[in-house]
Amino acid sequence: MNFRSISLPLDSLCSSLLPLLRHGLFRLLLVVVGTSLPLTVSAHGGVVLEDDICFIKVGFYEAHFTIFQPRSQGHEQFCEDLPDLGESVFVLEYLHDGLEDLMVDFRIIRNTTGMGLFASAEDLEKVEDWDAITEFYKPPVQEPDVVAVLHQFDEPGAFIGVVTATDPASDASYVAVFPFEVGYFGVNYPLIAFSSVFLTLSAFILLGMRQRRRASRIAMGITPLVMAACLLPTAALGAVAPTYHVKGDFFHISATPEVESLDINRMHKWRIILTDRQGKAVSGASIEIEGGMPEHDHGLATNPRMTAERAPGEYLIEGMKFHMNGHWEIVLSIRTPAAREVVKFDLTI
Amino acid sequence: MPMRTLVMTIMLFLVGAALAWFIWAPPRPWTAAELITLQSLALEQLQAEPKDSTNRVFKNPEAQKFGYQLFFDTRLSRNGAIACASCHQPGARFADNLPLSAAISTTKRNTPSIVGVAYSPWFYWDGRKDSLWSQALAPLEDPGEHGGNRLQYVHLIAEDPTYRNTYEAIFGPFPSLKGFPRHAGPVANPKWRAAWQALTPEQRHTVNRVFSNIGKAIAAYEGLLVPGESRFDKYVKTLVDYDERAANEILDTAERRGLKLFIGQGNCTQCHNGPLFSNNAFHNTGLLSRPMTLPDVGRAAGLRVALDDPFNCLGAYSDDPVKCDELRFANTGPELVGSMRTASLRNVIGTAPYSHSGQQTDLRAVLEQYNQAPDAMIGHNESKPLDLWPWQISDLEAFLKTLNAPIAAAPEWLRPPGGG
Repeated sequence: MNFRSISLPLDSLCSSLLPLLRHGLFRLLLVVVGTSLPLTVSAHGGVVLEDDICFIKVGFYEAHFTIFQPRSQGHEQFCEDLPDLGESVFVLEYLHDGLEDLMVDFRIIRNTTGMGLFASAEDLEKVEDWDAITEFYKPPVQEPDVVAVLHQFDEPGAFIGVVTATDPASDASYVAVFPFEVGYFGVNYPLIAFSSVFLTLSAFILLGMRQRRRASRIAMGITPLVMAACLLPTAALGAVAPTYHVKGDFFHISATPEVESLDINRMHKWRIILTDRQGKAVSGASIEIEGGMPEHDHGLATNPRMTAERAPGEYLIEGMKFHMNGHWEIVLSIRTPAAREVVKFDLTI
Repeated sequence: MPMRTLVMTIMLFLVGAALAWFIWAPPRPWTAAELITLQSLALEQLQAEPKDSTNRVFKNPEAQKFGYQLFFDTRLSRNGAIACASCHQPGARFADNLPLSAAISTTKRNTPSIVGVAYSPWFYWDGRKDSLWSQALAPLEDPGEHGGNRLQYVHLIAEDPTYRNTYEAIFGPFPSLKGFPRHAGPVANPKWRAAWQALTPEQRHTVNRVFSNIGKAIAAYEGLLVPGESRFDKYVKTLVDYDERAANEILDTAERRGLKLFIGQGNCTQCHNGPLFSNNAFHNTGLLSRPMTLPDVGRAAGLRVALDDPFNCLGAYSDDPVKCDELRFANTGPELVGSMRTASLRNVIGTAPYSHSGQQTDLRAVLEQYNQAPDAMIGHNESKPLDLWPWQISDLEAFLKTLNAPIAAAPEWLRPPGGG
């Protein structure tokens, strides 16, 4: 809560350019446009912009924080000040540090503290009649994933967001206070417009160069097609799912999908043979399995588990299913009373 | 001077020709890998018939007929005006062409087409049901959809002599309803809810058993609604018969260019894969919420509902509560926030508007969304910007139109009973 904004225009400009900043290409261009634009900006109150990610700090809990004005600004993300009136959606996404167990309420009040954008939790202690200045209130609820609230702003003004998280067990509560303004932009429009035009033009030229393709040939000889078609049945018949061998510091692992071929969208099992470095079977281990597609930032469609040790050193994993073609990364966490090891391997479907 | 004009004209012509070639040239021949992908999308890859071991009457012809009657029966509602077919209209590919389903009131989601849905392991946009029969039960009690309660429907079967006889032929003797109230169910209506709580566990079980059988009959009928062969399928079939010339008569140049993009640069087959053009998994594609509504958390909430559902695969009313791999090994990670089930693209042209709450009015809007891959309001958008040119998007659109086909069910299943 000690983060204070140095100057509002800079903040506003940065939040308007946030979506652009996320695009690597634009980030590069920004450096060209002007190195005066910082990529790390702190903000007012409990909301903090670090690199290009906006956080809210509620006590020692943290959550991603974003505001959208979907009707007027589309997918543009705002960290605090909002350019337009109308429908505004505030989204708090937990960083899975325990906030999901707390009761969270969300209040928007008109900023009557006289402190403007420097208003803090202490200034709010003097407030006597909360109802009189409350613009919006969402009573406390326990939300497992995300807290989202929607408010329609009808008039421009200065507001304060108050997020309170209460621990139902200990009754301790934590507060985040963030002053923000709505419908006051305009100061930066010429600059934003100029930057946008410049960026778009540059991007267009660059993208155009990248997209250059060789023209396709008309000669579509039937030969490669016939060859390809001949290959098809062979590929289907001869297919056997491969075994993945990994040598770790403590264990040697052979992982085999128990299917004739590794296809997408099929629930299947894996057999894992676990030995020590000397090749002796390792019994009584627990194996956790995880998988994901690094290029798409997501995991498996399922939550597979080790369900049995079928023979000494031979383990059964159930619930494996890949739902996309492409590059997958599999992570095995192996644990025995004597050792613990995490191994990774890649596979392509 | 004339010389200069001539040179200029030739130059302009050459540039124009090159540009036109760049945009309108036929696609390059298919590679072996591409042919394998094409085959994986063809209808022939679909298992002959959908299966559901948790529903023992799924393939029972009597149950299919019974389900067909129930599907069109408006008495299965609070006001006597709503049937399954009110939103899943046979004339609109078993959807309704509305942004949001409208029955007793307007719901918060778009009506999906149910053609081919029986092959999916999960149901609803958010996957809150894990079988088709269990899915069929929920709208009957939703206050905004059919709006009734389960005991009301059990009475309906008991008191209609034809239904009762059919039921008994399929499921065995109908239980006695002596001492049961007219209305009861674990629903929003406080009176019906109180009546439900006043029943003994045995009585509730009796009602649930008949209620779940209603769902199983409806699912048996829905299992018949499978997609037929589209122009795309004919193309692939002809192509693998080594007859490229004939194949090119089936799909024109733009459609083939679109298909090339679909399985290549467009990354569409990442999720829209397999013969139904869907992996039936859950993905966040960064859509904006509908006006004045909060972004939908989708599968994150849906899975919790499915795990708690007494009518799920592991529950007392499942006919095969043993395997249930999909439920037992379902992923519960935070990446589910804001994710929805991948929709099948078969017959996509006839089912606008698109997405879970009908935010996208036409295919162009859908394709533009993927082309830009903007930030999601909640969770994160899994798709990455495609950087496609406008004419490439038109090609993709042209290809998607080749996925239309009539439903592969006998015509008598596709019109209301009694020839209405």
